[in-house]
Amino acid sequence: MMRALTVNNLHKAYAGTTVLAGVDLTLDAGEVLCVLGPNGAGKTTLISTLLGLVSADSGEIHLLGKPQLGTRRSQALRQQLGVMMQIGSLSANLSVYEQCDLFSSYYAQGYSAAELVALAGLEAQTKQRFGRLSGGQKQRLLFALALAGKPQLVFLDEPTLGMDVEARQALWQQVKQLRQQGVAVVLTTHYLEEAEQLADSIAVLHQGEIVAKGSPSELKALMQYKVVRCCSRLTDAELALLPAVLQVSREQQLITLHSRHAEQTVLALLQIDQWVTDLEVRPVALEQAFLHLTQNPTLHQECAA
Amino acid sequence: MNTALIYRKEAWYDLISIWRTPGFVIPSLVFPIVFYLFFGVMFNRGGASVYMLVTYGCFGIMGPAMFNFAMNIASDRAHGWLTLKRLSPMPVPAYLLAKFITALMFSLVIIGLLFTLAALFAGVRLAASQWVLLAGILLLGTLPFALIGLILGLTLSDKAAPAVVNLVYLPMALLSGLWLPVNMLPALLQQASWIWPSYHLSQVGLKVIGMDQGYALWIHLSALTFSSLLLAMIAYWAFQRLGAAKA
Repeated sequence: MMRALTVNNLHKAYAGTTVLAGVDLTLDAGEVLCVLGPNGAGKTTLISTLLGLVSADSGEIHLLGKPQLGTRRSQALRQQLGVMMQIGSLSANLSVYEQCDLFSSYYAQGYSAAELVALAGLEAQTKQRFGRLSGGQKQRLLFALALAGKPQLVFLDEPTLGMDVEARQALWQQVKQLRQQGVAVVLTTHYLEEAEQLADSIAVLHQGEIVAKGSPSELKALMQYKVVRCCSRLTDAELALLPAVLQVSREQQLITLHSRHAEQTVLALLQIDQWVTDLEVRPVALEQAFLHLTQNPTLHQECAA
Repeated sequence: MNTALIYRKEAWYDLISIWRTPGFVIPSLVFPIVFYLFFGVMFNRGGASVYMLVTYGCFGIMGPAMFNFAMNIASDRAHGWLTLKRLSPMPVPAYLLAKFITALMFSLVIIGLLFTLAALFAGVRLAASQWVLLAGILLLGTLPFALIGLILGLTLSDKAAPAVVNLVYLPMALLSGLWLPVNMLPALLQQASWIWPSYHLSQVGLKVIGMDQGYALWIHLSALTFSSLLLAMIAYWAFQRLGAAKA
């Protein structure tokens, strides 16, 4: 399997402020790498550096097996890349078809204008100017244009921002199809559900550092606890004394326990309180893992191991 | 990849995109025509219509060149359109050349309208070679102003660009003698007129009809060449700076 992306010890600082601090990443063909991080974590700088929009201070970048220096990216390489940036707009006065026609001319072996319109699902808006499209339609067109050259490596920076649920799920489907076709995808997103749905691997970026890497299930496993939810007559203090309980929280009647050994906790709970209702045991959601990773910098060492 | 096709499509789509912007098209075409109609046709005194054909011709071609580059490039930068293009395999010169061709097209239309007005309503009579030479000079003269626009577009925000272009365009037109002859300006401003490419362009044009200030042609051509080279270097620096800027 071809290695689509390799990043070694990437550093970038702006006016003395470190934005990327020794980032290491790898991505193979046919995989989706999701870069997660809170606002200001360095996600867009990372993408911009990989694409050559800004130069790295140090470190190595290999795209589709070729080393990249500074901000120069060869035209041959750009033929094989697809990009959808977070701040991306097109000429407001050109129609959907015209934008597709223009973009398809850039690529030697890409989609035709009509195919791009269909890929965007905007056949009914062919003559509509970009400036008059809805936010979701604009995103769909930008996504289609990112695929104009049938790329081997695609960068998607917050691709579903502003999309409705239906359009978002359609785009997820397209990303899954790309993966099946052997395309490597680097995706940044705020939507953890999106990462969970699409990512083969997730890199959590926090203050310019990768604080955790792995598949969604590996990241969740890092938490080493499960969530027990129930309604019980026990007080918080009594619940906290149950075996393996790490944390107790309550929202009206619903109690949430974080437990290292959910089975032990549940058994003990049922022995003490036979009137427990609505009992359920869940693995940690990616959202909780993400919050935990980005709010506990000390966990960095633990996760990197 | 068909490079010629990319250049052609960039030029075509840039042109129709601008053409669909009435806020740009109407002032670009109307201002020089209305000014010429007013001062060159209605108040035509002692050969003023011939003189103003050249000076308003210069004024007319400067506007679209500066505004098209400055406002559209600043806007393309602000909205990520230029970034998207730079990341695609599109050759950057195709983007810049498209804007220049658009500016040339506007220049051609303005020259055509001014020449028609001058011939039909102001009684301007020139030899065929003079009409052709004058049109060629005005078309070529678009270059330094396009470069000024390019520099402004690469360095200013989309909100600041229109205001700054006006701040450059209108005083430059006045101080170059495009609205009234240079010798009617105060002495200090007459000397300062030499720094403007628009002054030298108008003098080259006025030489065709024998109404220039009498300096040697090579001085004006050298000044235009030098200013174009200098502006091109600054534009190149500004473009390189884009790559180093924070994304």
